[in-house]
Amino acid sequence: MSPQVAGQIELLGQVLISGILLGGLYALIGLGMSLIMGVMKIINLAHGELMMVAMYITFWAFTLWKVDPYVSLLIVLPLMFLLGVGIQKYLLAPVMDANTVLPQNQVLLTVGLGLVLSNLALLLFTANYRSVPVSYASKTIYWDIKMGGQTISLSFSFPFLVAFGIAMVLGALLFLFLGKTDTGRAIRATAQDKRAAALMGVDTKKITMITFGLGTALVGAAGALLDPVYYLYPQIGGPFTNKAFVITVLGGMGNIPGAILGGLVLGLAESLGSVYISLGYKEAFGFVIFVAVLIFMPKGLLGKGRA
Amino acid sequence: MKSSRFLLPFALVVILLIPAVVKSPYLLHMLILSMLWVVLGQSWNLLGGFTGQISYGHAAFFGVGAYTTGIIVKLGYSPKVAWSGLLFGGLAAALIAALIGWICFRLRGPYFSLSVLALAEVLRIVAINFKALTNGAEGILYLPAFNGKAYYYYIVLALVTVNFLVIRSVMRSKLGFYFLAIREDQDAAESLGINPTRYKLTSLLISAFFTGAGGAFYMNYLGFIDPGIVFSIPDISVMMILVTMLGGAATFWGPAVGAVLYILCSEFLRVWLPSGHLIFFGILIIAIIIFFPNGIVGSLNDLKARKKRRLAADAAAATPTAPSVAA
Amino acid sequence: MKKTLGVIAAVAFALPLLAQDKTFKIGIPLPLTGAEAKFGEMEKQAYEMATAEINAKGGVKGHKLVLDIQDSGGKPETASGIVEKFITTEKYPIVVGEYTSQCSYAVAGVAEKYNVPYLVVTGAADKITQQGWKNVFRLNPPASLYNMGVFSFFETVAKPTSIAILYENTDFGNSTSKAMKEYCEKNRINVVLAEGYQAGGVDFKPILQKVKSLRPDVVYMVSYLMDASLLMRQSKELDINPKIFIGGGAGHTLPEFLTNAAEASEDCMSATLWTPQVKYPGAKKFFDDFKAKFGKEPDYHGAEAYAAAYVLADTLNRAQAWTPDGLRAALAATDMMTAFGPVKFISWGAFTNQNKMDTLVLQVVNKKFETVWPKEAASAKYIYPAPRWRDRK
Repeated sequence: MSPQVAGQIELLGQVLISGILLGGLYALIGLGMSLIMGVMKIINLAHGELMMVAMYITFWAFTLWKVDPYVSLLIVLPLMFLLGVGIQKYLLAPVMDANTVLPQNQVLLTVGLGLVLSNLALLLFTANYRSVPVSYASKTIYWDIKMGGQTISLSFSFPFLVAFGIAMVLGALLFLFLGKTDTGRAIRATAQDKRAAALMGVDTKKITMITFGLGTALVGAAGALLDPVYYLYPQIGGPFTNKAFVITVLGGMGNIPGAILGGLVLGLAESLGSVYISLGYKEAFGFVIFVAVLIFMPKGLLGKGRA
Repeated sequence: MKSSRFLLPFALVVILLIPAVVKSPYLLHMLILSMLWVVLGQSWNLLGGFTGQISYGHAAFFGVGAYTTGIIVKLGYSPKVAWSGLLFGGLAAALIAALIGWICFRLRGPYFSLSVLALAEVLRIVAINFKALTNGAEGILYLPAFNGKAYYYYIVLALVTVNFLVIRSVMRSKLGFYFLAIREDQDAAESLGINPTRYKLTSLLISAFFTGAGGAFYMNYLGFIDPGIVFSIPDISVMMILVTMLGGAATFWGPAVGAVLYILCSEFLRVWLPSGHLIFFGILIIAIIIFFPNGIVGSLNDLKARKKRRLAADAAAATPTAPSVAA
Repeated sequence: MKKTLGVIAAVAFALPLLAQDKTFKIGIPLPLTGAEAKFGEMEKQAYEMATAEINAKGGVKGHKLVLDIQDSGGKPETASGIVEKFITTEKYPIVVGEYTSQCSYAVAGVAEKYNVPYLVVTGAADKITQQGWKNVFRLNPPASLYNMGVFSFFETVAKPTSIAILYENTDFGNSTSKAMKEYCEKNRINVVLAEGYQAGGVDFKPILQKVKSLRPDVVYMVSYLMDASLLMRQSKELDINPKIFIGGGAGHTLPEFLTNAAEASEDCMSATLWTPQVKYPGAKKFFDDFKAKFGKEPDYHGAEAYAAAYVLADTLNRAQAWTPDGLRAALAATDMMTAFGPVKFISWGAFTNQNKMDTLVLQVVNKKFETVWPKEAASAKYIYPAPRWRDRK
């Protein structure tokens, strides 16, 4: 095998690895949005800003008390859950009950919330770019494969690998929670038909609160996992909100395996597209797949979403 | 309704005389921006408020209108010729809208909303990368055709008026009834023989045309655009919804109230609270949504309606509630 | 009634005091919110520091300089609105500042329309001073000249035969990378890859792996923000070993680059306009004072703003009249030395009223930015080629 061919195989292998690992993180961002959209039928435009909040919590925990970002998940998850419950209880729920022409008031409220959160962070933490300089930020695991007299060297970024693993574990736990517990079943029932669920004795108010809390905690986890490989500043949220939309629609709203698949598809589309088509159009590939799925598979990639 | 017949011409005269009295270009600038946002709010309102099809990506149409105008100048025509962008930009936006509507109106609910959002993002990325046509991230800049603010004031005033009259006459025609019927219950409308896809598309085309014309005006007025500005989700798409919902969705005067409120509040807060003005703007949005769930005009109408209902309590027989358009 | 009289008396008493304390207000639009807020803040602090110094020495012709800094949010629409207000309502005879190329360009259009001089401080896109506008003056060199130091380093030392170019898809990234590409094509340096990316990416590994497979001598990157650190960190992870990594300014010169990229920043070079080691009078003092006062290191953006305030003071001192015409004439005749470097507005080629200055090359040596090129300005010897990642300690 010629070195050129080996180089191309190495390129493809690395691109696939990067796409899948990044996709795991995307999946976690999408899971929260998918859950919220599935149950509440609203778009949360503050999703990215909530992630930003979690990123700052992780950052300060590390900076002040040297808490490792992965350990800080233990703080971030409950804190973000409470924040989500609070937002639902005191801001979104009162608006939901109001009799309005359009059901979009909650969405606008999340716009206001996003503005408040990101600018509060700007005021409190300044516009400085921060990072969490963990010792393993650049730690890489190499995998050399001998093939036809050539060595193909693939690398796995340690923090991306951990993030991927935790994302998959959280996704699986969520899936089990929704399938096996009473609360989980109540959430699914509410997602399917809120009125019927209420008639069956489900406390839908409480269920929506738990749902928004869970969604917030999940995107919070994504924020904490992103900290070691990325950086943070107050305006970081916006682009991630967009990614969460794409993933949610790819997977079908409220569909947990779908959201994970959606995240992986988006990660792969971005990494393959940026190398083999054009780097400049990288962000567009997700949207193109998104529209294609909308047209040909309006119920999401797994066909079980609720259109 | 009767009072507006006298109020309207009077208000119109006042509005027409403003540039003769107000000499501060800064103040006129604020008024011009407000009116531009009235156009954008009204256009969104036709599709979102009256027809019930929520779009999170109207920046797509705004940007196409603005870029059509910019490209006219880039092709070597004078900035005066670029005013034809008001027509061509609108048409180009409507063309894009026809395409996306044809694809997406088979879908309902958040799927339509999100696919328009995707369209706006894709167009932004294309505008960044298609440098030969758009100059890429550099954007397009030229010195606008007129120097005085009064020209722009009257042009945008004309645009607002035409837009308002078109939307009002549409909503008072059979078309408007179909739009409302689709918003209230698409299945019921379908069973009455209304083709929902066709009428949703009609509403979208009108809405996109005026949004595109608004974009064309923006380019002609400010003389500078780049992909990040005109295809912005937070600064254009979301703000169009905000303007409409603050004022009152599905009301004729809501977008106007919302637009003036938006421009004046954000400017006032920006000047008086250099740091943290956006926090207060965010709190203001939250407060209005909680206390005026139907927007300012909408909630006032609710109040009026409730009063009327109480007065006419006896006369009120059990008339079926038809979908209604508030003033 | 009594109260009113009291107020009138107070005002009458205060008037002479006010008259003694004459001021000159300077309107500056800056991004204090939004994605560029960090740079807006740094420039704001530098302007404030410079005006405080100038005022402490008696101000300008007995007038104290007062700053009117307003937040543009990095939006050209808002920036031009602010400047319109500065010119028409506040009647400021001159406009200074802004950060991004987009905003500077939009503001330049407004200034030209109203025939009021405008001093561009940071916006680097070439076209801003290529319109033949007589009101637009630029303190910083245009983006296409940011690389002058790098070119001279190429010609004298590196002599590369191939290069990969990655740039952020913004006005600045486009201008800078285009200049590099044209230079390379003219000088027979093989451009193996030249692609733009959207700022804020999480994972650059796919495209970096492609760069690796092409084996260029030089990897050249233009990155505004933290992308610079991620590009370097991920290059290290992928074990990409060109002879040298070079940044096109901006992100690769920020103090955060050192902390965030950590060991991956070592030996990375970058084009820059200014470093604290430059031998211009006042440069070191500015750096030290700024660091002492605000607890963080300024980069060239801060130096630009700091120098701009001094250029303005100098212009006001020389101007026949503090009117747009008077200030424009005085600005055009500027010929002075600042902490940022020499300032003189000249016209050549397509440029009008453009300051021309030498640009430098810095390199990260032992976790510190050192000036390594040109030789006369160097604070440390350059390291070229950089050692392979696996050979480093």
